[in-house]
Amino acid sequence: MVLSTTVSQRKHIKRKAPRGFLKRVFKRQKPHLRLETSGDLLMHLNCLLFVHRLAEESRTNACENKCGIIKKEHVLAAAKVILKKSRGMMKAKQK
Amino acid sequence: MADSGSPDSEPTTRTLLRRVLDTADPSTPRRPRSARAGAQRALLETPSSRRLSSQTKTTARRRSQRIRSIGKLAHVQASGYLEEQTPRTLLKNILLTAPESSIVMPKSVVKPGPAPQVVQPSSRESSRGSLELQLPELEPPTTLAPGLLAPGRRKQRLRLSVFQEGMDKGLPLSQESRGNADASSLTSSLNLTFATPLQPQSVQRPGLARRPPTRRAVDVGAFLQDLRDTSLALAPPGESLTAPVATLPTDTVLEDTQPFSQPLVGRSPSVHHSLPCPSHSGAEDAERAVSHRTRSTGPRLQNNSPGKPAQLLAGKAEVDALAMNFPNTSSSIFGEVGVEPLQDGVGGEAEERTEKSLSMSKVKEAARARGSARAQEPEGHTQVTEAEGSQGAIETKEPEGSSGDCPTSSRRVSPELASSTPEFLQAKRIQGLEPAPPPSTAVLPSEPLEPLSARLPPRARTPGPKACQNPYKTGLSHYAKLFSFYAKMPMEKKALEMVEKCLDKYFQHLCDDLEMFAAHAGRKTVRPEDLELLMRRQGLVTDQVSLHVLVERHLPLEYRQLLIPCAFSGNSVFPAQ
Repeated sequence: MVLSTTVSQRKHIKRKAPRGFLKRVFKRQKPHLRLETSGDLLMHLNCLLFVHRLAEESRTNACENKCGIIKKEHVLAAAKVILKKSRGMMKAKQK
Repeated sequence: MADSGSPDSEPTTRTLLRRVLDTADPSTPRRPRSARAGAQRALLETPSSRRLSSQTKTTARRRSQRIRSIGKLAHVQASGYLEEQTPRTLLKNILLTAPESSIVMPKSVVKPGPAPQVVQPSSRESSRGSLELQLPELEPPTTLAPGLLAPGRRKQRLRLSVFQEGMDKGLPLSQESRGNADASSLTSSLNLTFATPLQPQSVQRPGLARRPPTRRAVDVGAFLQDLRDTSLALAPPGESLTAPVATLPTDTVLEDTQPFSQPLVGRSPSVHHSLPCPSHSGAEDAERAVSHRTRSTGPRLQNNSPGKPAQLLAGKAEVDALAMNFPNTSSSIFGEVGVEPLQDGVGGEAEERTEKSLSMSKVKEAARARGSARAQEPEGHTQVTEAEGSQGAIETKEPEGSSGDCPTSSRRVSPELASSTPEFLQAKRIQGLEPAPPPSTAVLPSEPLEPLSARLPPRARTPGPKACQNPYKTGLSHYAKLFSFYAKMPMEKKALEMVEKCLDKYFQHLCDDLEMFAAHAGRKTVRPEDLELLMRRQGLVTDQVSLHVLVERHLPLEYRQLLIPCAFSGNSVFPAQ
């Protein structure tokens, strides 16, 4: 039964979430805000999905260019698309 | 018989049979049944009457049984009976085998015969019927029976004990059956009586007794091999930052189990006095050295073959193992060239390792430009000459080679360098990894260098990235690694840097959005609901795909447990909603 908010130390989780890193980033950006405990896990999930989409898009770009290697240009083009998607409608509307 | 006149308070089969045997004529059973039957019936009545008081039911049953048995006996007698198995012998056998039970139960009891002569032929029948199986086993005891019956004492206990002694029967069993009042129990006890002889037989037949387990002397070679195997199993999981910690428990475990640490300890301190064991604790250097020596063989040999990329995290495990082992092994080998105290397998492998280390030191020389390292080269060369070969194989293992070189050449490395290396190592650890062998190898000597800090001058080292930037870069590189994994295609280094830039922008957008959502809800704390709303906005969470689904897909189980509410026993839900 897991009734603790933290993961026990002896567990070796693969693909650990860098919770400290995420918390620090958030604090740096928005010092006046607070982040909840599980919030950083969802943040990590969000990052994972973002990176996932980015990688997929970059791969698609590279394949379209018939390159065996993902190059900077591919990544750049992919980032433009994905960042626009990830911004959320608000910012897009504001734009 | 003396006991004939004194009836028992609880007349048992035994007593009755006893009486029968004593009173009955020692002649052949082929007498006219009528006379005997009458006598038997008379005799039977008295015990039966006595028993009536104790157990009406049984006697009634017995009576019916008797009648039945008599009927059967008529048949039997008419058919003829084997001479060798007289009722007398049968009764004797029954006496011998039947346990002491005061209350005689139906059928099986009746058959053994409360009734004397009536039972005698019935006993024949019964013995043949129910106890037939028992008779063959009784054959050997029958020889003893006359002897047992000779005392003819009323005391059943004594006779039983005597009988048991002779029959090697378990005494408690018969005593237990004494109290049994069931026919089934009697039968079971009767059956058991035949089962038990096997046990006591072992007492009489020591050959059948269980021998104490022979203990063989511990095979040193096999033991070390097992140690290596276990260390092999332990080493791979000890990756990343847990490597140094993981080595600790393995070390302690190995230390405890090492029976040969004592002889080696005497040697190792003398050897390692100049090479205090690395990092974790300097207290157990000697044992650690030994354990490392033995442990290093497994992980080293295993790690060397796959030729892992010089990832800091992965390489760290190797480095830690190698670094710790190399000075020990190399020093031990070099210091004790004349001495061959090492175990056969360990010694051979240690030699191999030192060979590798030496040859790797050669490789390292070309790779790195270190003044102090070069100073060590002639030394390394002389030692390299000792161990030749296997260089080709070692060429491929540059990371290990560099690590190997560092320890071997680092024996005289400056303490300043040693002091700086731990910091560097720490920084490197935090950084996550840039897959650059030189920086990782620069990190490698940190472990063995730390103990050498006292005497050795600091080594010139490439400056690490800025400390303030490090943690942030580390985190970004963590996600960049994931990017390269998800892409499943080779990538340029520049592309990775590009990815890190994108991530930076993404984090900024993320925080802004979260702030907006929290402010929209009138809160100053960002809660998971804001995150969910963000993901919905991004199009990740739809009506078809819920947040929980995404959590289950992409996050490890431990985080899933923290995020998705689950019901537990005691009417509790975690996490609380």
